[in-house]
Amino acid sequence: MTDGTHIALEDLAQFAMHSASEQEAAAIEAHFEQCPLCRAEFEKLSTELAMVAMSVDQHPLPAGARERFIDRIKAAPKTNSQSSVLAMPQQKERAAFTAWIPWALAAALALLAVTMGVRINSLNREMRNQSRQIAEFAATESRAQQVLDVLTARESQHIVLTAGKAAPVPTARAVYLPSRGGLIFQASNMGPLPESKTYELWVIPADGSAPIPAGLFRPDASGSASIVLPPLPPGVAAKAFGVTIERAEGSSTPTAPIILAGAASAS
Amino acid sequence: MTDNPLNPMAAVNRSFDKPQEFSVAKGEGHEDEVLLRRVSNGDQQAMAEIFDRHGRLVYSVALRVLGDTGHAEDVLQEVFFKVWREPQTFLKDRGPLAAWLAVVARNRAIDALRRRKPSDSVEDVVLISRTNIATEVERDTLIDKIRGAMKVLPPEQKLSMELAYFEGLSHSEIAAKTGDPLGTVKTRIRSALLSLRKALEA
Repeated sequence: MTDGTHIALEDLAQFAMHSASEQEAAAIEAHFEQCPLCRAEFEKLSTELAMVAMSVDQHPLPAGARERFIDRIKAAPKTNSQSSVLAMPQQKERAAFTAWIPWALAAALALLAVTMGVRINSLNREMRNQSRQIAEFAATESRAQQVLDVLTARESQHIVLTAGKAAPVPTARAVYLPSRGGLIFQASNMGPLPESKTYELWVIPADGSAPIPAGLFRPDASGSASIVLPPLPPGVAAKAFGVTIERAEGSSTPTAPIILAGAASAS
Repeated sequence: MTDNPLNPMAAVNRSFDKPQEFSVAKGEGHEDEVLLRRVSNGDQQAMAEIFDRHGRLVYSVALRVLGDTGHAEDVLQEVFFKVWREPQTFLKDRGPLAAWLAVVARNRAIDALRRRKPSDSVEDVVLISRTNIATEVERDTLIDKIRGAMKVLPPEQKLSMELAYFEGLSHSEIAAKTGDPLGTVKTRIRSALLSLRKALEA
């Protein structure tokens, strides 16, 4: 989802559209805490997406929709406690002392209700924020645990992918946990690519079935790139891993030549 | 990493050095704010004026997502009733009311489409804190640009974008639905977003 420093534009869009998974959303929100650039990019993108919503063809309202709405708000008048409390001193003073007491009690109760309402709203807001933070922590911990599981599981396969004799030598390492479909991949010394191309990682299944795409990546200025926990089906035994160069949008089948390759060790 | 020209999130695309700013006018946005303040005091006439100003937009967004007039009206009624009951929520620094209502309508419609509980409270909608599209003329100009850009998007980019925005599908769901690789879907959406941005900034 991230390229090491920033969140990809399409992933920010998915988050803005409320389509990201809870795990992805928690990771993005956590990233926002540390990255004002991504936060600013998200706000800008949200505005652009709002314009997409506003660009839909306009249709007239259904007959009677306005009337139904007006009837609804008339049936549910606002409970404007603040206004009524403030209005009370302007009411005529009553001469009789006994008549003043109920109004004073009502004012006190109204004031109490407003105070309690504000307090309840405040507590509710605080509770929502804390619940959200807990969910974020849990999601972050869950992902960290997944990474740790893949890296430390006894049955994880450790593969070194190497190239020919060109210098500096592109190298990649993959850690693969077949039972969970967990894969962590890190490449270094990768050469730059033209805008129209991308690197693509492949899982070569042991049963001879078609290679499975495991993610696109572009190296940064230092030639490094990584793919962490791409969406892979669990339970696929791997014979090998490979990296090819594909067109920018990726491919469903690998295109020769294979730039990097590495056989999976028997688990 | 941001210096890497191959990086899809490179600075050149993010345009932080060229923020998309639109002038703020004491026009439509100001009138909305005045109306919202009246609504805060229980003014039903002000609420009716807000409904008249933005009802078609909210309904049209919901109809675009749901494709059903009855369900779209349900969203319309829900969104405006929310404004009636909690106008202070909309009075905060959230940018033009129309844009915000459009996003809330889209999110509510997607929730209804996917038969899920509302995915956010209105307060959670993050929108336009630094960008303003306040005047109707400016907004209409930008909307025309977006419409034009959407029309000329390559068909596969347009489809991916529409599935994402108007059907609320995740990248993985779009890949499963179209049979395209996940990476392809991501690239198409990124390309579409960059095209829309370019059109807005033109």
